[in-house]
Amino acid sequence: MIELKNLSRQFGEMWAVRDLNLTINKGEFCVLVGTSGCGKSTTLRMINRLIEHSAGEIHIDGQPVRGFREDLLRRRIGYVIQHVGLFPHWTVARNIGLVPRLLGWEPERIAARVDELMALLGMSAERFSGKYPRQLSGGQAQRVGVARALAADPEILLMDEPFGALDPLTRDGLQEELLSLHHRLNKTIVFVTHDMDEALRLADRLVVMHEGQIRQQGRPIELLREPVDEFVESLLGGNSRGLKEAALTPVAQRLCHAEMTSGVPDIDANKTLRDALSLMLWHRVDCLNVVEGSESLGTLRLADVVTARAPMGTTRGLSS
Amino acid sequence: MAGVTPAAHSMASAKANPVLVFLMVSSVMAWLVLSSVSVAPNRIVPGSSVGVFGVAGWPGVVLGLLPVIIAGVLALKSSRRQLVVVALLVVLTLAALPLWLALAAHNLVSPELPGARLGIGAGIWVVLFLLLLSVIEVRTRLGLSRWQGGLLLLIPMMSFSAVLIATPWLDSLALRREFVTRSDAFYTAIGEHLLLVSASVGCGLVIGVTLALIMRHWPRLRGPGFALLNFLQTIPSLALFGLLIAPLAWLAANHPWLASLGISGIGWAPALLALIGYSLLPLVRNTFVALDDVDPGVIDAARGMGMTSGQVFRQVRLPLALPVLLEGIRITTVQAIGLAAVAALIGAGGLGRFIFQGLGQAAMDLVLLGALPILIMALLADALLGALGEWLQPGGAA
Amino acid sequence: MSRLRGLTVPLVWLGLLLAACVGMDQLEPVFRWLEPSSRSVIYARADFLSLLGKHVLVVSVAGALSIIIGVGASIAVTRQWGRDFLPLVAQVAAIGQTFPPVAVLALAVPVLGFGTLPVIVALLLYGLLPIVRNTLAGLQGVSADVREAARGMGMRPHQRLWRVEMPLAASVIVAGIRTSVTISIATAAIGATMGASNLGDPIISGIVNGNTAHVLQGALLIALLALCVDSLFAWLQSGRSGL
Repeated sequence: MIELKNLSRQFGEMWAVRDLNLTINKGEFCVLVGTSGCGKSTTLRMINRLIEHSAGEIHIDGQPVRGFREDLLRRRIGYVIQHVGLFPHWTVARNIGLVPRLLGWEPERIAARVDELMALLGMSAERFSGKYPRQLSGGQAQRVGVARALAADPEILLMDEPFGALDPLTRDGLQEELLSLHHRLNKTIVFVTHDMDEALRLADRLVVMHEGQIRQQGRPIELLREPVDEFVESLLGGNSRGLKEAALTPVAQRLCHAEMTSGVPDIDANKTLRDALSLMLWHRVDCLNVVEGSESLGTLRLADVVTARAPMGTTRGLSS
Repeated sequence: MAGVTPAAHSMASAKANPVLVFLMVSSVMAWLVLSSVSVAPNRIVPGSSVGVFGVAGWPGVVLGLLPVIIAGVLALKSSRRQLVVVALLVVLTLAALPLWLALAAHNLVSPELPGARLGIGAGIWVVLFLLLLSVIEVRTRLGLSRWQGGLLLLIPMMSFSAVLIATPWLDSLALRREFVTRSDAFYTAIGEHLLLVSASVGCGLVIGVTLALIMRHWPRLRGPGFALLNFLQTIPSLALFGLLIAPLAWLAANHPWLASLGISGIGWAPALLALIGYSLLPLVRNTFVALDDVDPGVIDAARGMGMTSGQVFRQVRLPLALPVLLEGIRITTVQAIGLAAVAALIGAGGLGRFIFQGLGQAAMDLVLLGALPILIMALLADALLGALGEWLQPGGAA
Repeated sequence: MSRLRGLTVPLVWLGLLLAACVGMDQLEPVFRWLEPSSRSVIYARADFLSLLGKHVLVVSVAGALSIIIGVGASIAVTRQWGRDFLPLVAQVAAIGQTFPPVAVLALAVPVLGFGTLPVIVALLLYGLLPIVRNTLAGLQGVSADVREAARGMGMRPHQRLWRVEMPLAASVIVAGIRTSVTISIATAAIGATMGASNLGDPIISGIVNGNTAHVLQGALLIALLALCVDSLFAWLQSGRSGL
């Protein structure tokens, strides 16, 4: 559990973060979102003390971060940054094994861990472990960056706009994988982004920051439905919030007709309502066959998509 | 992340400037500990060193140190206004140094000995060096331009010239004595030095640019061409001068018309050849880079607008390349000023002659008479060509 | 293996250099033809090998000190605690390179007298400049992301310096050392005029006595020494440039 209490950071005359209170539970995926300069990165970097806080307290599992030696604290917390920052003079394997080596693990244990992590991130150890960072594509490099952050099996993972510099397709794939990693490993993740779609897709807890303070926090669906003010509303997309909510809701949740309709396109039950809407618009139809693998589950009608409202708390969980 | 830079700025204005404090403390120590001047009854006898207290009593020394101490204290809290005061104090101290020498001459050099001379001691050199470093530091911290920094130094230079020219106070300064006895030779040497440097840079420029254009046209020549120039650059100057003596002597002996042009194994001919050789690498490299490194988008746009290739070269490539080429000329000129001094060893004349004569006669002031003007010449060439480059840079100085 | 093959060029130059030192006598007919009138055509006041040894000694002592001081100072001014001195050191390194090496050499004599000491001090001071300049450039050239990552992974300051920053800056630093040593070899030869005996001796005495053969012998050996050392650095750099 990470607790930020009355946290402030002043740069000269300017308050980057002011009197911020936030509790992130163990295993939670917390996304800090806001415009540039809102203090989200500063908040993140205060957790592993890359920036020292000027006032307030940060506790990890009840212990203040100032009680740890900086470098020992950072070795316990995984850290991923936008430009990856792989060490260009080391191979992929050596980059991933950095923190275990700093912690003084046995070489065999490090090698085994590196292989394990590469497998976890879907990279063939045989092909990639001997490569140098400049031989990798952007997506591959960031996979290595995530593997490096996970190497010593930290409880907490801090991610500072990790996918910001990637093309949309690669970003999409990595978001998917990150969600699945989160489900499997149950790490506490603090993630900073300014991409609202990314934030909505990933977050258990979404924290909207503005001018160094938290404007609103809660589950994504809560913020979409009940933004506290115009700023949060416009940041979340204003009138396009309907589509954003649709993108959070799986088709399976709105499925209420078990019968089959012939002559209409299929849609996978794990897709979102947004996909369903798009498919209907494209094919100029008002119902779709919902399938799971080769098995047919029933029919989704346009009215189900538009009018029925999902009870709060049942969204999410698309990718398990 | 966003707030890092303003933080650095606001903190810098509040805290001490340890660099200036360090420089001022070192100046005070050097001033008190090292010998201030040396006095010799004539040119042959080595001078005897005199410390600051020998030059002036306690009150004089303390009074002289006052501006430096105040500057050091002010640097403990370096707001912009305090830095300006520090700059003025440092300039004032620099401007007062010739007066200190005059005081030393008055107190220590007996008027009965017409050959008696005053040498500048280590203490003064070190303090001069440290104070110049302070000027650089203040200039950087105040964000002054090259010109404004130069103006700061103009005041001490004017003070020095004024004392030297308008008053007889420093007539006994050893450097001045050396100069007075050979002022004609000195001016000739400066002329020779400048001629050698400008001739070599001029020829180097013509040959270098031609070579660069040839190498651009025939890419296969690039590798071997640069390898050859690198090879040339690696050969030490004294060795290259030496290696040129034999073939030139042979040429002069076998072709009287060459000899009649003044070419021989010793003298200006090997010096000029060697200096041209050394000038080629920086010039070719910079010309090459200058013409090659123009943003391809710009060239594309120029072509797209319908410019002919001649127009592209004259109106786009050349103006963009000029500052880089000038940078090459600057490097070459500064390098040639130093190398021309070595050329004095093979009889090419120039200021280097005083250095080597002085070394031969163990006359240190004569060495200084050669070395100091070379140093000043190099610094001036660097500053002037640098400023010209900045001026030519599209959009002005960065 | 291919890394070692790169050593061929320096070794060839070294072989030529040593052969020339030892076997200069064998070339007597050539020099006799060049300088038929002189009594001695082979420089005999000192053994070429010992001159070479002194030359190399002076350059290496000055070079080693320049490297230690230059790299040390550059590291110091790029750390948090020394950063105040960075602008001054960078400026001095830039302005100092304008000073002609001969002038520095000449100015060392009034302060330190004749002999080897002023030459070593002058070489040391002048040799600092390219090393400081390149070390600063190399250390500052390490990308901010890599620094940030190193900090974020929990590397201690000395680990960041020695495992990340220095290896990444190495090729630029080696280039600076190469420039520094090349200048030192050339400048040391001029030191022969101020009483430091080395490979410059035959040249200076040859010029003074009008003996072209002596000049040629000294020039040949210095040129070979310079080429040998330079090619050694070229090899060192080629091993690093893969980064």
